[in-house]
Amino acid sequence: MVELKNVSVTYSTGVDALNNVSLKVEDGEFAFVVGSSGAGKSTLIKLILKEIDATSGMVQVNNYNLNTLKKKKIPEFRRTIGFVFQDFRLIPTMTVYENIAFVLRVIDAPRRYIRKRVPYVISLVGLQDKSNSYPTQLSGGEQQRVAIARALVNDPQLIIADEPTGNIDPELSFEIVELLKGINECGTTILMVTHEHDLVRHFGGRIININSGEIVFDEVIGGNNEA
Amino acid sequence: MKLSGVRYLTKQGFDNVWKNRMMAFASFCVLLVSILLVGLSILFYVNLNSIIGGIENKNEIIVFLDEDITKQQTDEVGKKLKQMDNIKSISFYSKKQAFDDMKSSMAEYEEIFDSLGDDNPLIDSYRVKIKDISQTNATVDSLNEIDHVYRIRAPYDFVNILSEMKKIVTIIATAIIVALAIVSMVIISNTTKASVFARRNEISIMKYVGATNAFIRIPFFVEGMITGIIAGMVATLITWMGYDAVVELLTKEVNILNIIGMGSIIPFAEIAFTVAGLYIIAGALVGAVGSVLSTRKHLNV
Repeated sequence: MVELKNVSVTYSTGVDALNNVSLKVEDGEFAFVVGSSGAGKSTLIKLILKEIDATSGMVQVNNYNLNTLKKKKIPEFRRTIGFVFQDFRLIPTMTVYENIAFVLRVIDAPRRYIRKRVPYVISLVGLQDKSNSYPTQLSGGEQQRVAIARALVNDPQLIIADEPTGNIDPELSFEIVELLKGINECGTTILMVTHEHDLVRHFGGRIININSGEIVFDEVIGGNNEA
Repeated sequence: MKLSGVRYLTKQGFDNVWKNRMMAFASFCVLLVSILLVGLSILFYVNLNSIIGGIENKNEIIVFLDEDITKQQTDEVGKKLKQMDNIKSISFYSKKQAFDDMKSSMAEYEEIFDSLGDDNPLIDSYRVKIKDISQTNATVDSLNEIDHVYRIRAPYDFVNILSEMKKIVTIIATAIIVALAIVSMVIISNTTKASVFARRNEISIMKYVGATNAFIRIPFFVEGMITGIIAGMVATLITWMGYDAVVELLTKEVNILNIIGMGSIIPFAEIAFTVAGLYIIAGALVGAVGSVLSTRKHLNV
């Protein structure tokens, strides 16, 4: 669950990135966050990950109050979130398997669990055959599926996808969103930042539109595929 | 953190050396050169000190005895000398021996010496080597108090020059060594920074998936340490070969050792373990700490 109450963020340069934003995303929801660049989407994401702190207002994510969260507790908090980057950010010196297993090693999971869990999430994203490939040997779409598997592997309550389709061929973008939808149906909250209106119109659902640091639209719309 | 985690991270550190071999090689080279620069400067200083020490050893005070001294009295003076604190060794130098030496060193005046016949104008003396030449004055004072001592001749100027030289050499050597150490640290920290920068993506991913700082640092620590240890070992080898080559050149070709005196240059075998130990420890320490410090900036995500 993500909850923001009257949150403002002013950068030290004097720029108001977010202005009195209130937002609530319930457990199990799927929401698109849209808006032009510079509107405050990245700031919102950074806020939720506690990369930056709110200048004023309250931020609560997965039952952690980020206003009072100690620095030492940040790793523990981040383990409840999966993150998908626009540029995949896979480690080029590791195989697909290693890239995913890595997350579980970070949280000190037992080795037996790693050996069972990693092949399972790899099969969820349909890359069983690529387990021992290196990221450079994969297509953009495949790399992003690895990144999604990585976000998924420690069973987070919330997955944040920051423009996950931005570096991928348009026809493959739908596959990626469908994959995220599938994960959402299993109960994981998903927040997907995008500026591809085609995708949003196609899938529909909850749309949060940010403009100039304010939420200008927050409603559920029907998608084309359902109509 | 569990043992399996530590084992995994240590293995990561080893793997990283190979996976990032270009950067590891760069760090290795910088560490190697730094260790060599600082190490060789220290060795040079230590040897210079040892040579000065050798010259000190050659330095002696001459204790002239009364002209009409008896054999028994001479031995008594000898005993007293041996009991003194600052005296390393003594040797008796009879007036007969002094006369013969003088005669042979001035062969062209042989006639003059011969004309003296048995009338030896020289007197008996003790040649005294002292332990600490900076204490020469005090020692001379107490020598003067011994009965039947006629006169003391001590090389005061020489003593002063040597102590001055030692001071200057120490100051210059310390300055050079400190400067080299600082320059080395700066270069090493920049090299490791570049190495860490090349992997900032990796680090940022670790942060996003909830890695603790220790988890991120341990592989860098291990990696830096391995690089440092290897650099230390190679530096030892190079120093060993270079050192032996220089000593051989000085002894065989130039014969300089005999001029400046004595086996004052320390043989490498005598200091091999110390050198290897210090090199490797310094390499490991600087490598590990350098890597870890350089990760700091990238950890604040």
